[in-house]
Amino acid sequence: MKRFVQVGLLVLSGLGLLRTSLFTDAYLRYVKEGMRPLLIGSGAVLLLLGVAEAWSAWRTARPAGHGAGERGGDHGHDDDHGHDRDHDHGHDHSGVPRVAWLLCLPALSLLFYAPPALGSYTASRGAPKEVAVVEEDGFEPLPATSPLPITLTDFTQRVRQDTGQAIKGRTVRMTGFVTPAGEGDGWYLTRILVSCCAADAESVKVRVYGVEAPAADTWVTVTGTWHAGGGGSLGTSSAAVALDARGVEKVERPTNGYTDALPLMS
Amino acid sequence: MRAMEDTDTGIRVPGAPGADTAGGAPPRGLPRHWPLLLAGAALLPGAVLVLVGRSLDEPAVQAWRTVCLAVTVQALPFLLLGTALSGAINAFVPASVFNRLLPKRPALAVPVAGAAGVVLPGCECASVPVASSLIGRGVAPAAAFAFLLSAPAVNPVVLTATAIAFPGSPEMVLARLLASLVTAAVMGWLWLWLGRAEWLKPAVRHTGHRPGQSRWAEFRRGFQHDFLHAGGFLVVGAMAAATFNVAVPRSVVDAFADSPWLSVLFLAVLAIVLAVCSEADAFVAASLSGFSPVARLTFMVVGPMVDLKLIALQAGTFGRAFAVRFSAATAVVAVVCSVVVGGVLL
Repeated sequence: MKRFVQVGLLVLSGLGLLRTSLFTDAYLRYVKEGMRPLLIGSGAVLLLLGVAEAWSAWRTARPAGHGAGERGGDHGHDDDHGHDRDHDHGHDHSGVPRVAWLLCLPALSLLFYAPPALGSYTASRGAPKEVAVVEEDGFEPLPATSPLPITLTDFTQRVRQDTGQAIKGRTVRMTGFVTPAGEGDGWYLTRILVSCCAADAESVKVRVYGVEAPAADTWVTVTGTWHAGGGGSLGTSSAAVALDARGVEKVERPTNGYTDALPLMS
Repeated sequence: MRAMEDTDTGIRVPGAPGADTAGGAPPRGLPRHWPLLLAGAALLPGAVLVLVGRSLDEPAVQAWRTVCLAVTVQALPFLLLGTALSGAINAFVPASVFNRLLPKRPALAVPVAGAAGVVLPGCECASVPVASSLIGRGVAPAAAFAFLLSAPAVNPVVLTATAIAFPGSPEMVLARLLASLVTAAVMGWLWLWLGRAEWLKPAVRHTGHRPGQSRWAEFRRGFQHDFLHAGGFLVVGAMAAATFNVAVPRSVVDAFADSPWLSVLFLAVLAIVLAVCSEADAFVAASLSGFSPVARLTFMVVGPMVDLKLIALQAGTFGRAFAVRFSAATAVVAVVCSVVVGGVLL
């Protein structure tokens, strides 16, 4: 593969990583926050590699201006000569297979056409994430604020596991995005959670009754009480994880969408 | 007009016959109009991508692109670490070091190399180039393969993640450690017994440091070459994993949870096609709560050793003949080892 193609691929990949991690928050659509230093470092290393390769190619090209392939340069920086003479024995570092071209797809995608974070399409296809089991007396008394800000995971645990039924009759506020329900009335308030990158995404969902569904993927804050009409008894796994909504307001999409955070109080 | 010329030359570059066959071209510097060529190479695929992307702005395609990019972005830093390490081993470490560290008899070197996997903190993408350069430095292939298999599964980062994902069951961490080490050692011995050198691509031979050359230049060129090479195959693997991820909904997965034997095999296959990074697979395994502990152990033992992106990476580094045989054998050995170890410990 020609050297300038290698330069191009390295620089593009480096710029792509730097753009997504250093200059914008777009990396949060794909990986977790903790990856940021690694991504910035990788982007910088790739950029450096590309610049070094360009510099080395330029140094070789200059004296070779009288005739391509001229030997005898004393450039310690370029081992093309050495490889070329006995490349049969060697690991030939100037030959890169065509498959390396594929690297330009993610690089260009990151630079110019970054796909959005996963949303209702993914959430509607997966079974909801199993929430962690809370120890028998692990439930703290709920704070007295009303409406009570709560995460979707906490709400699910309270509804399904809290035998003290502390959530009963309480007005709660939750933030998530809208996933249309396939059948029946109501819709899902959803969060997508990732443990490493978007490839292992799982969703938590709370079914919302009583208000019309906003457009899919809209981020909303919902206020309401536990939906007792589902048939199951509160505090057991038969209870419906659902909400009778009183109000829905649109909110900004949070920067880090793959977390189950409390709603911002307005 | 300028732009036309620009794209014209840009098109010709990828198609140039033999331009990138290994070592075929005489050493050339930058071509005369290289900024134009570069701009063409940069703009043209982007333009095509946007056009294709606009017409396919379906949610499914967007999810595919997001997952594909997520796997790539997540793995790139570790791939970079692995290729840098491999370049450094190639350029700076004399072959005699490995001869001194590893036992002379390959049968003994295999378990030692497997246990040495503890020192490479990263996921599986990093271990392929490192194993390749180890072979180049005269380490017995069997020992290098034991290292390749065990490193992504037994390093402290991954074991810590496993302990966090399975709170209150330290036996899961122990079972994962044991099953992975045993699988790695068995595969190393299997290679000693049955493996043939001709399955390995000749290009796998790294040359190491040569007198009269700058070590830094050798490091840089090796690093760059390995990264570009492995990076391309990483993208192939990421695409395959994303395709499975989007095409098969999670609810289908849960349908297999009931039968104990089927669930073990199913999670083994799932680990291969999902291609989750070994630092994250414990969390995924923990979330597959409908499955038995043995099945989940199998998921965590098979995943770091065989998966789509690893097969693609190995095919690129060691050759297709090797990757197919080695991955198939590893998958079988890993399933057997995790069932045995899991049966005893869990």
